[in-house]
Amino acid sequence: MSTPVDAERAWQDLQRIRVPQERVYDEIERSAQSDLGSTYFTAAVMWVFLAVTGLDLPTWAFWLVLTAYFAVLGSVAVIYNRRSRIRLHRSRHSWRSFATFVAGMAVTLVTILVSGFVANQLALPFGSLIQATASTGAFLLFVGPANRWAVSALRDRGARVGHQAVS
Amino acid sequence: MSTPSGFDELIHPSTRLSVVALLAATEWADFSFIRDSLSLSDSALSKQLHTLEEAGYLEIHKEGGGRKRRTKVRLTSRGRTAFDGHVAALRAIVEGAGPTTGATPATESAAATTSGTQHQQQRAEAGR
Repeated sequence: MSTPVDAERAWQDLQRIRVPQERVYDEIERSAQSDLGSTYFTAAVMWVFLAVTGLDLPTWAFWLVLTAYFAVLGSVAVIYNRRSRIRLHRSRHSWRSFATFVAGMAVTLVTILVSGFVANQLALPFGSLIQATASTGAFLLFVGPANRWAVSALRDRGARVGHQAVS
Repeated sequence: MSTPSGFDELIHPSTRLSVVALLAATEWADFSFIRDSLSLSDSALSKQLHTLEEAGYLEIHKEGGGRKRRTKVRLTSRGRTAFDGHVAALRAIVEGAGPTTGATPATESAAATTSGTQHQQQRAEAGR
């Protein structure tokens, strides 16, 4: 037996669908704004890694530090994933999310190379500390606004995906 | 009154529709997040989830143990297809009713005097 549905009820149901989906985007935005702890921790680990690799380490020690660095980053990612209450569906991500990730890596890498080059050219004392501080600073300055920029497009993107799915 | 193809009787009740709509926007969602977002009790949500799980519309995974135990809920591809079809059916009903229908006579008269254009704008937004 089918339930008869008039246009008014159907319209109300379409409105009802939007409310929980808005809650999802509220949660995504709240997480992006309030999760400063993991950002600062990632920056601190990066600073330590760059400062240590600036020392004249033997090859085995360099690889050990590099492995430890990625292990810590992996642990941060796992902890962050466990704390999050939702994960946005892949169809709802916009190109901005990917662009932010790539640009973040590019900005950090370029800052590492440029600050290292400048420190070497000017023969600055504590070059690796300067390099680490400049790179970490660039990372911190970039990641906040970039995340906000990426997240701000998700709600509109979600509305468009919802529309395409049914048209 | 006939219903368009894709209209899903299982998703149609308002609570289940809200649950599936929320899950449609996510890869997975925590049980507590769904409960808090929809202002449901644990038992009410659990009942709806099991109904949808039995139909193959979603999967429920329990992780961890003790105080850290958490329940993740994920819409299956079957559930996602059913939701998309249901929304398409709802849109077909609204659009099939024409520009002046979609409201009961009582609300039509009210809309004519106060916010007829606003109603249409809202309906257009719902379609976006």
